[in-house]
This record gives sequence, C-alpha cells and structure tokens, in this order.
Amino acid sequence: MDIKNQEKLHTDLLTMNMGPQHPATHGVLRVEIKTDSEIIAEAIPHLGYLHRCKEKHSENLDYRGIIPYTDRMDYLAAMNMEHGYCLAIEKMLGTEVPKRAEYIRVMMAEMQRIASHLMFFGTYAIDLGAFSPFLYAFQDREFILRIFEELSGARLLYNYIWVGGVWNDINDSQLKRIEKFMVELEENVKKYHSLVGENAIFIGRTANVGVLTKDQVYDYGATGPMLRGSGIDWDLRKTRPYSIYEEFDFNTVVGVGAKGTVGDCWDRYYVRVFEIFESIKIVRQCLDGIEEGPIMGKVPKVLKVPKGEIYLRTECPRGELGYHIISDGTKTPYRVKVKSSCFTHVSMLGEMAPGQMIADFVATIGSIDIVLGEVDR
Amino acid sequence: MSSTTLTPIKETEGLTLKKWFLNIYRAVTSVSKGMMITMKYAYGVKPVTIEYPEVREVLPENSRSRLYNDAENCISCYQCAVACPVDCIYITATKRDKDADKIKTSNGTAIRLDLVQYTIDTALCCYCGLCTTVCPTECLTHTTDYEFSQYTLDSMKYDYLAPDIRSWRDRIVK
Amino acid sequence: MHSEIVEFLNAEVSGCNAVYNAAEVGDSSITIASTHIKSACIALKNSSKFNMNVLQCITATDYIEEDEIELSYILASFIENTELILKVRVPRGDGVTLSVVDSVCDVWKSANYLERECYDMMGVKFEGHPDHRRILCPDDWQGWPLRKDYVVQEKYLDMTVNPPEKINQADIELFAKMRLDLEDPTLVTGSWKDDHAWIDQDLTAKAAGRLAEFKAAKKAKADAEKAKASSEEKGE
Repeated sequence: MDIKNQEKLHTDLLTMNMGPQHPATHGVLRVEIKTDSEIIAEAIPHLGYLHRCKEKHSENLDYRGIIPYTDRMDYLAAMNMEHGYCLAIEKMLGTEVPKRAEYIRVMMAEMQRIASHLMFFGTYAIDLGAFSPFLYAFQDREFILRIFEELSGARLLYNYIWVGGVWNDINDSQLKRIEKFMVELEENVKKYHSLVGENAIFIGRTANVGVLTKDQVYDYGATGPMLRGSGIDWDLRKTRPYSIYEEFDFNTVVGVGAKGTVGDCWDRYYVRVFEIFESIKIVRQCLDGIEEGPIMGKVPKVLKVPKGEIYLRTECPRGELGYHIISDGTKTPYRVKVKSSCFTHVSMLGEMAPGQMIADFVATIGSIDIVLGEVDR
Repeated sequence: MSSTTLTPIKETEGLTLKKWFLNIYRAVTSVSKGMMITMKYAYGVKPVTIEYPEVREVLPENSRSRLYNDAENCISCYQCAVACPVDCIYITATKRDKDADKIKTSNGTAIRLDLVQYTIDTALCCYCGLCTTVCPTECLTHTTDYEFSQYTLDSMKYDYLAPDIRSWRDRIVK
Repeated sequence: MHSEIVEFLNAEVSGCNAVYNAAEVGDSSITIASTHIKSACIALKNSSKFNMNVLQCITATDYIEEDEIELSYILASFIENTELILKVRVPRGDGVTLSVVDSVCDVWKSANYLERECYDMMGVKFEGHPDHRRILCPDDWQGWPLRKDYVVQEKYLDMTVNPPEKINQADIELFAKMRLDLEDPTLVTGSWKDDHAWIDQDLTAKAAGRLAEFKAAKKAKADAEKAKASSEEKGE
C-alpha cells in the first residue's frame, strides 16, 4: 500500500474498557485503555466500584466497632489490617499488651502474610494462563484459614486481634499442627516456585515487563513488595520495628533482576514468594518463643482515646498500611484516615502501561497484587 | 483524527538458530518438570474437596455463624445493640409491674423488663461477634449453623420471640 | 527533629510561619501557612538533611466548629527513616465555593491520586493538578461526603437512597410508636436513641411530646397529692 492511501486510513486510538468485570483486574477495577492494535497508548484506572465509606462509618462507631470494618478493607489480609489499627489505638492509650498476645498476633500476621502471598501466587499464575498452581496454592491456604477459623470463628473476616490483646487463646495442639504444617509448606512452596517461577513461559511473560525504577517507586510512594522488587532494601519490620518484630531474625527479600531487569514483574513475584520463607522463619521463632500468660491486657470497658493524633504504619502483605487517627477525646474517633498501599500502587498503572502489549498489561496488573477493597475502602 | 503508530517498549531479541534450539530445549524441560509435579498431584494426593450436600462439614466449636438469642434469659440490657457496628439489632421492652412475679435468668440475674421486640436482621449482620462478647447473661450466641439461605430479604429478619425460631434452634443444638 | 525542621522551613521558605505543635499523646506535627505548602514540600524534598522523598498520604479533616479544613501531608524519608506530619489549614467554605491549595503533583507523583481523593471527599481544590476529577465517587455525585455536615441525598439518579424497607424503618420506629399507643409511655424502653437518623422525626417529636406530657401530668398529680397531704397535715 502506498503512503498516500495510508494517510486516508482511519488510525485513531481504540478506547476500550478493561473491567470492572474482567477476571484479570482482581475485583472491580476498571481501566480505560487506549490502544493501537495490541499496544497500549494510555491507561486510566477508574476506581470507586467498591467504595463503602469506611472512613465515614468510623466517625460514628466506637473504637472497638471499627475493627470489623478494618477487616473488610483488605479481605485477603484481614489480620494485618486489625493488627495495625490495634497497635495505633494501644499506642494512644498506652496499653501494655501481654507477651503471649504479642506472640500470637505476630504469628497470625505472618500466617496471614503467607496466605495472602499464596493467593497472589495462585491468581498470578491464572492471569498468565496456568491453572493448576492456583489449586495447589489454595490447598495450603486452606490450612491457614482453618487454623484461623478455629481460633477466631471466621474464615476471612476475623475480628480476632482486639485492642489490648487477642480474643481467643491458642492451644498446644494447634501450635503443634502449625509447626507440622510449616515443614510441609516450606517444601511445597519450593516445589511451586520450581513449577511456576522457573518455568520458561512464565519467565518469558514476566521478565523485563512492567519495569519500575527506584526513582519512579519513590516518586509514586510505592511500598512493600513493589519497593523491594525494585531493589530497595526497605521493610518496616526491620527498619522501624513495631510490635515485637525486633526480636526475630529474618531477612528482607530484595529483587535483584535475576531473570531480567531489576524491578520487573518477575522480581515482584520473586519477592513475594521468597517472603513466604521469611514468614515461615518468623512463625517458627514465634512457636519457640511463645510463653504462657494472659492474652488480654488491661483495657477500660469504654475506650476513650486521649485527645491527639497518631500516624502508625505497619508492613502488610501488599505494602505499608498507615492509620492516621485523630481523636477528640470522646468514644468515637474524629477522623480515621487509612493510607492504603494499593491505592498508590494503582496510580502507577498509568505510568507503567504506555507501550505495553495488552497481555503484558495483564501481567503488570497481576504483579502489583491489588485488592480493590483496600483501594476503595 | 490522529495518525499514530506505537512501538512496544519491550524489545524482542532477534532469533538465531542456536536460540531457536535453546528455546525448544527450555520449553520441553520446564514443561516436563511442571507435568511431573502435576502428575504427582493427580495420582499421589488425596482429594481435598468434599461433596457438599451429601457430606456436610462440621464447623469448629467457636465458629461465628447464625445468631441465636435465648429470649427467656435476655434481660434487655441493650448492650448488644449498642455494641453492634452495623445496627442490626432492634430491641424494645416494657418495664415489668412491681407487683408481678419475680423472674430470673438461668444464671440468677433478675429480669426487670419484658421483651416486646427482639429482632436481628441477619441480612445486615456482619458476624463480627461483638454482640455476643458483651452479653452479660450469655443468652445471645453464635451457633454453628451455616445453612440459612432464604428467598426474600424479609425472611432474613429473625424475630427471636416468635415460636418458629425454636424449630431451627432445636435442629442444631444437641 | 521537629524543631530543626521548623527552623529549616522558616529559614528556607520565607513567610511560611512554621509552628511546632508538640503533642503529649501520639505524634507531633508542624503547621505552616497554606499558601506556602508547595515551596515547603520542595524544600523538604531537596534538602540533603531531611530528604523527604516519599509523600505517604494526605489527610483532610473537617473542623466544623473552627470553620476550617486541615490538610495533613504525611511525608516520610526512606533514606533517613523519619516521618513528618505537615499541616495546613484552609477556610472551610460553604461547599459551593471551595478553598484552593497549591498542588504538589510536581513534587511527588503520588500526590495525584491522594489530592483527587481529598477533593472528592472533602471538597478542597488543588491548583495546578493535572487531572482534577472525583475519584471514588461518581462524577455526578453532589456534596463532599467526609465533611461533618454532609447529608445523604434522598435520591440519586431516580433511585431512592435508603428506602424504608431496606433500613428496617418499621422496626426502628416500633419504639416511638409504642410510646404513642401504650397507656403509660414511661414503661417503654428501647435500644434506640430518639435522634436516630432514620426515625421519622415527626413521630419521635410526637412520642417525646406525649412522654413529656405524661410525665408532667404524673408530676402534677404527685405534687397535688403532696400538697393535699401537707394541707391535711396542717389541717390536723
């Protein structure tokens, strides 16, 4: 075809909606993408499909009543959500949490992290076309959920970690089962990694895709595995230890660009999967260190947080979660702002997308591991 | 009307004969490795799912499922309604006559109010368990019954003073 | 750390009036003039001493009594391992004309979504924002949901928000209705506050009126009896 004819061709960008019911968008994210054939020119995320006014609700609830709402933000890591909130309130109140409760909390938070990363592992494999890893990951996740169910009474939204301690005590047989499971899990995850992470097709789909440089990551305020995937050694559990994390010996997993460039999708996958091993280490140390004692500290029946404000960040599976709680000294908080890591991560999609193929874009969305409940709150 | 031609940012490397064979080798090895693990799961692992309607799972003891209020032991203290974060518990009571017979709950607390309405809208309930922990007479409990789907929203509203509540309660509690 | 930053800001950004708010409980913060937020942020980011390289979040708080909205920029340095709450206060406005603050999108790109969320929830405009739209609420939403005086609209796109059957209005109102119907309204107690948002306000007013009436009548009767008794005593 000669050039004259080509100029007459209508070569506008094609605008498409990806989501809100697209299986690769992990919930109800809608991304408006402008494409030239397979190549994306622009991606605009549209949020708010799961907005449930958590922050507004919190202003009318007492401090204990907010905990079930925090569960529902990141429903795949509800324990971590509760943990951060309770730590913030306890810091304001000056409550001392019993040692046993602290151990149980950390153990639960780490097991939740394992469950969440297993979920990422499974869904990411599905995004890239492998189905069976999803089932394997769920099988292991099921054990963790079963332990949580026995302890807290619920499978997903626990309301287990309370201000001052934990709700229910853990017994020796459960501890033994966890110990046994950790051995099993360690072997399983190694197997899964060799099944997915070392697979040629998987590497081909993820290496050199969705690369984020250090500057970009800082500029966008990304945290958690996104930050570590780009080669930055930053983990709140190490750098600003909260709870009793300073007692534990574990490493920070940092992406090194083993299969491509530093900060690509494979690195983020690598950080998440190898964090499971570090979490296993922490759970084992918890099992060794757990001591007999009470599980609930001294907390007044009606919680009245003194006037002031606090901003407390904790390391959640998806990044840093910050609670900015402003209290006016009454039974209800004046303002609860949640700094959600996924919210900032979604804003990076617009930066990562231009020039990618649509299939690579799916890999990119999967690798940032968003939970829309936390994005929209 | 704009005329645009985009180029992908991901560079594709040129294919040489050596690479072509290397690719084939890599694909075969990683696929066979994957298939080995899959086969192990297919023949070596017991099934993990259960066939639901035939096999019913028994939930753990302190599982938080359908709420039940033993209205005879309720002292109408409203603590559950206050604690509820979604406001799904509706209670109204009238004061008992001073001359009427004195009644007590099973743990010995005197009942000074007559319940007129004790309704929980289970469609709104978030199963957080806050109401059961504040209950002074432990009359409000979570049961382990998880099969309570209904056709209409209205039937999700449980009036615990109505006699038909007893029917499902007797089914679960041994 | 805070006093150093105050000194630094006052020296570097003239007219920003940095004030250190020391807190007994929780975190301390620094308040500056709202007009200088951008220059203060640039100064903090570029200073080799503080290195605030990440904007963590922007919290908008509505202080309705002081008629002001407070924006808390939470900055963090991942190099120095510090964090800082930087505050500005802007007038609240009436919800139609909005206060304007300089956008810090040029300083940190993460500000883009955070500022959009602030605008969406609290109604603060950001001057120089590249994509100034609502983010969580739909584009045609009215009002600023996180303001303290926000009232939920009755209808949205011809759909009734909170229809009575969905909020169980009948159950909530039973309490007020019983007070109207029963012979002695003082006997009725319920788990509901009279000012509950979803109770029909006329009904509550009526019920409260009847209760007050009944109480007054009872008191009057008691007083009369008392007076009678005392007069009888006197008579004796």
